[in-house]
Amino acid sequence: MSEAWLLRQRSVPALGVDFSAVSPSRVAALSADEVARLTVPMGREAVALGELFEVVVRKGDGPALRIEGDCSRLHGIGRGMDGGRIVVDGPVGDYLGAEMTAGEIRVDGDAGALAACALAGGRIEIGGDVGDFAASALPGAMDGMRGGVLVVRGSAGKRFGDRMRRGTAVVHGAVGDFLASRMVAGTIALAGAVGEHPGFGMRRGTLVFAGDRPRVPDTFSPTGHDIRVFWALLARSLAAFGAPFGGLAGRLPERVVGDLGADGKGEWLLPA
Amino acid sequence: MAEPIIDNGVVIDDTFAEAFPMKATRLLITAFDANWASNAAVAMTGFATSVIACGCEAGIERSLSPDETPDGRPGVSVLIFAMSGKELAKQVERRVGQCVLTCPTTAVFAGLDEGEPIALGRNLRFFGDGWQISKMIDGKRYWRVPVMDGEFVAEETTPVVKGVGGGNLLILGRDTASALAAAEAGVAAMRQVPNVIMPFPGGVVRSGSKVGAKYPALMASTNDAFCPALTPLAKKTELTDEVRCVMEIVIDGLTDADVAAATRAGMAAIVDRGSAAGVVRLSAGNYGGKLGPFHFHLHRLHGGEGAP
Repeated sequence: MSEAWLLRQRSVPALGVDFSAVSPSRVAALSADEVARLTVPMGREAVALGELFEVVVRKGDGPALRIEGDCSRLHGIGRGMDGGRIVVDGPVGDYLGAEMTAGEIRVDGDAGALAACALAGGRIEIGGDVGDFAASALPGAMDGMRGGVLVVRGSAGKRFGDRMRRGTAVVHGAVGDFLASRMVAGTIALAGAVGEHPGFGMRRGTLVFAGDRPRVPDTFSPTGHDIRVFWALLARSLAAFGAPFGGLAGRLPERVVGDLGADGKGEWLLPA
Repeated sequence: MAEPIIDNGVVIDDTFAEAFPMKATRLLITAFDANWASNAAVAMTGFATSVIACGCEAGIERSLSPDETPDGRPGVSVLIFAMSGKELAKQVERRVGQCVLTCPTTAVFAGLDEGEPIALGRNLRFFGDGWQISKMIDGKRYWRVPVMDGEFVAEETTPVVKGVGGGNLLILGRDTASALAAAEAGVAAMRQVPNVIMPFPGGVVRSGSKVGAKYPALMASTNDAFCPALTPLAKKTELTDEVRCVMEIVIDGLTDADVAAATRAGMAAIVDRGSAAGVVRLSAGNYGGKLGPFHFHLHRLHGGEGAP
């Protein structure tokens, strides 16, 4: 069993910090001193972790990392992570869990933009709200989230799931404009209100609107066929995400397909 | 042959059934109601009595209630056995493609958790001609193929495990009626045991075979030692004059322990009915023990021992 580490924030950093190098598997093999001496980029400088945090070893089921404090200037927490667990007690910056392939991240607070971008595996749970472009593609990249699970307990910003191609993303609160724009595949389930132009240019993939029913645009068309089997499988899976998704199995949805301007093999499921 | 055991008037030979390793998988077929699930399962497991000419041995394991199936509909669990993983893959694809995909309202799922995966919906999806949809749900991939009644949902793959084929029990009766009734009772008891199928019609085979024949082209031919027509003629017979009819139950199971449990259950049911019901002896078929690695000794099973 590896060590679990606790980083207790000394003060909020003056500039943005690129935290992507500090992964649970990397710090697992280090001593407390070595962890404190690890440097991370802050603005144009490099700063030792020990200056930003009090480093505490905790007995536990590592590799794991717990960060306490206002981390909204820490960007790239868990970026590229390939295993282990990160728990953040407080808000975090941008790129949370981007390009992550395995492991688990839990944030008890809000997250910035581009969270779970190009996520390929593992699970990210955000207790608060998340900024724009969550579960989407890295700037300039063609592929969005391609695996894993993202759960947002609060609300999400614009362009949620842009170019997403696999995996499951769940939002308990509202989502902003252009939800699932250019979506390639995957599943997004929503329990709150939806902004303008949802599903714009979506090619494939599934959107489940468990809460507010959005206006169905003209580029989406209903299919009246029996989807009981698929719905039973999906509803059972979504039930694990808690209250707003719990009773879906008994709410056989209306199904519309689109965006007809882009293949039209995407689907919206509008539970009764 | 050593001393036989006599229980309730039924002689149990001191012999053993010899069984072989096979490759096996379990499929769960669900449908709108139990009738249509059964229609698909019956068709899919048809013409699958023996690998000698059917390519596989398949049968219905049991019916499934809605709370036992992945999609909450009534279903049927089937087991399929073949001599190689490749042959099994071929048989699964053909049979599911022609008998389950075609059957109204059905869906098909893998029924085992572990094992080397073979294609289930992976190739059948192409029936969708580009309209098929893939969905990953909790780590499993499903294919949704548009069909005239809606959509056919099939899990991408099904795991293959090592199984045991060719477990058997021979029922030597005084006449046709008593041998048949005993065989039916034996099959009914075996069907209560999980992880096994009895692939022959009604679970019973009357044409037990031996290896080879006088005709070079034949791999197998009638088991003359157990044919009552040949009692006075065959070079070697296993029958006495009072035996006028022999039935065999063939058992395929996921493990040797499952085949043993089914054999034991079948024997117990037949012995319970006793010699008064017209059963003279219970025996088993083997090849001297040199061909198959699994030996099911009737005396040990009757004595309550576990796997052989």
